[in-house]
Amino acid sequence: MNMAGIPLKSEAGKFSTGRYVAVNGWKVFAKACGIFAIALTYAPLIWLAVMSFSSRPLSGVPYPLSLEHYRALTRNPAWLEPFASSIIIGALVAIVCMILATAVGRAIPRARRPGGLVLFAIIPLFVPGMSMGAALFIAFRTVLDLKLGYWAVFFGHVVWALPFSLMMVLVIAVRFDYRLLEAAEDLGASSWRRFWDVEFPILRPGIVGAGLFGFLLSFNEILRSTFLRGTEATMPVWNWMMAASQQSQVPIIFSLATIVLFATLPILGGFFWLLFVKLDKD
Amino acid sequence: MAGAPPVSPRAAHLILNHLISMIYKIFRVSTILSADSVTWTVRVFIVLWSILVIAPLLLLLAFSFFETRSYMTVYDPSLKTWISLFESGRFEVALRTMRIAVTVTLIELILAFPFALWLAKGCKSKETKAVFLALLTIPFFLDLSSRSIVWRAILGQAGGVNTALMQLGVISEPIDWLLYSEFSVHFGMIAPYFPTMFLPIFLVISLIDDDLINASNDLGASPAQTLRRVIIPLSLPGILAGIVITLGPALAAWVEPGMLGGGFVNLLSHSIESAYTALRYPVVAALSAFVIVLLAVILVCVVLVVRRAANIENIFRQMHT
Repeated sequence: MNMAGIPLKSEAGKFSTGRYVAVNGWKVFAKACGIFAIALTYAPLIWLAVMSFSSRPLSGVPYPLSLEHYRALTRNPAWLEPFASSIIIGALVAIVCMILATAVGRAIPRARRPGGLVLFAIIPLFVPGMSMGAALFIAFRTVLDLKLGYWAVFFGHVVWALPFSLMMVLVIAVRFDYRLLEAAEDLGASSWRRFWDVEFPILRPGIVGAGLFGFLLSFNEILRSTFLRGTEATMPVWNWMMAASQQSQVPIIFSLATIVLFATLPILGGFFWLLFVKLDKD
Repeated sequence: MAGAPPVSPRAAHLILNHLISMIYKIFRVSTILSADSVTWTVRVFIVLWSILVIAPLLLLLAFSFFETRSYMTVYDPSLKTWISLFESGRFEVALRTMRIAVTVTLIELILAFPFALWLAKGCKSKETKAVFLALLTIPFFLDLSSRSIVWRAILGQAGGVNTALMQLGVISEPIDWLLYSEFSVHFGMIAPYFPTMFLPIFLVISLIDDDLINASNDLGASPAQTLRRVIIPLSLPGILAGIVITLGPALAAWVEPGMLGGGFVNLLSHSIESAYTALRYPVVAALSAFVIVLLAVILVCVVLVVRRAANIENIFRQMHT
């Protein structure tokens, strides 16, 4: 806030001390709001990781410690199929999103009505997950009479992830300097070379981001998958079934979620480091 | 916009500059690029999206006018399904859903706006900004069921909070409204729905020119006046975007109320699910369409209220003259 910026200005002295206090009070309040939300986000994650080593994860205290639930994961391979299918669907969604987002993302700034197109492309963001899942279910199952399964989940996920991926590419595509392409053409580059040697390297961070968003959004999608999965199960659906059933399976998802968490956090951390620190320097 | 990735303010300014000069560029570029390939790509995309998004949504709406008789869908348009929705007590469920979703959205707005304002304009360290933005984007990718179920262990009768409070001697019996209540549902929804409110507001506030704020200060406006007459009106598009993409998912909340409501907090999503399990697809369609309609109605109300509070067009006119 330049409420917050005021004290930094040289003529800040002309403001009364009372105003200083009010502004600083706002700063403290603002920070507290954000830190509260972030704490609510990460406290459960830490608790999840800690309790995965407890013999009774749903109790209030971590003791006694045990590796029992990690061992149970190896003994009971029922989670393997949903896990593998989620990874495969995620990877496919990522690839398709990368290709589509690149193609459409570089076309939109050059199209006749870019604003309208962007709005059209992000419609799925405004439709609640359950409604979109139901809509696709009715279209695929009831109207087209197809047997649902992983393929339908895949389409549902593409519809969900593509708007995000597209925006990743668009953020860079709208900054693209078209004189570079003119120059390349003057130097005699073919249209493919112009794309591959000039445009693609510049768009690459956005394309990587599109793929990352595609994968992770698909990997954690549950509402649409519930409608489209047929008799199959993806990882979040399986987690949900295990967590919703009041049975002994619950502890397993603690250890499984912890493993997935520690696998995804470094990827995300690396990506954000790249996005903020490295790109900002260039 | 919506789920756009966080952009540094410098990048955001660049985007804006480029958007402005784009009209000029498109004119020039169209002579260089094979314009055919662009229109071709756009056309294919429009067809694809119409099949995958628009057509299913229209079918959903059409289906809500059919009805179910003995597990069979009767393709005979009528308002029976819609009428039965309101006669079967689902109206109460709809009201509860709306109340919880609106409350959560308001909580998020109260939390997100000051924080976004501070991070965009008050925080001078780039590193701090990057860390906070990363921390708030990462949760998009984390599994909701396992994140929510943890609260059971923390809020339950024998959970962390109650155990701690009892050992400290603050209470003698466990507090039972902490879990499986509307409180726990609201509480569990705060974290997952925060980033969608925060990011658009942050983006828009980052785009506000510091000169405007400085000018307001130089002209003698108090911080409160600057906030009310400059910052809030200019960040309205972000606030509206935040409300849309927070309220939509909140109206369809399913995982948190299921995990933390313990069957006591029935929302529209549970009605949709049970109708789905009972193969009553027209009911599924009507309820899903109803959620979309609900979202649209709330949005129109918000826009109307905002229009009255601050005439958006006026603000822009003043800005440009």
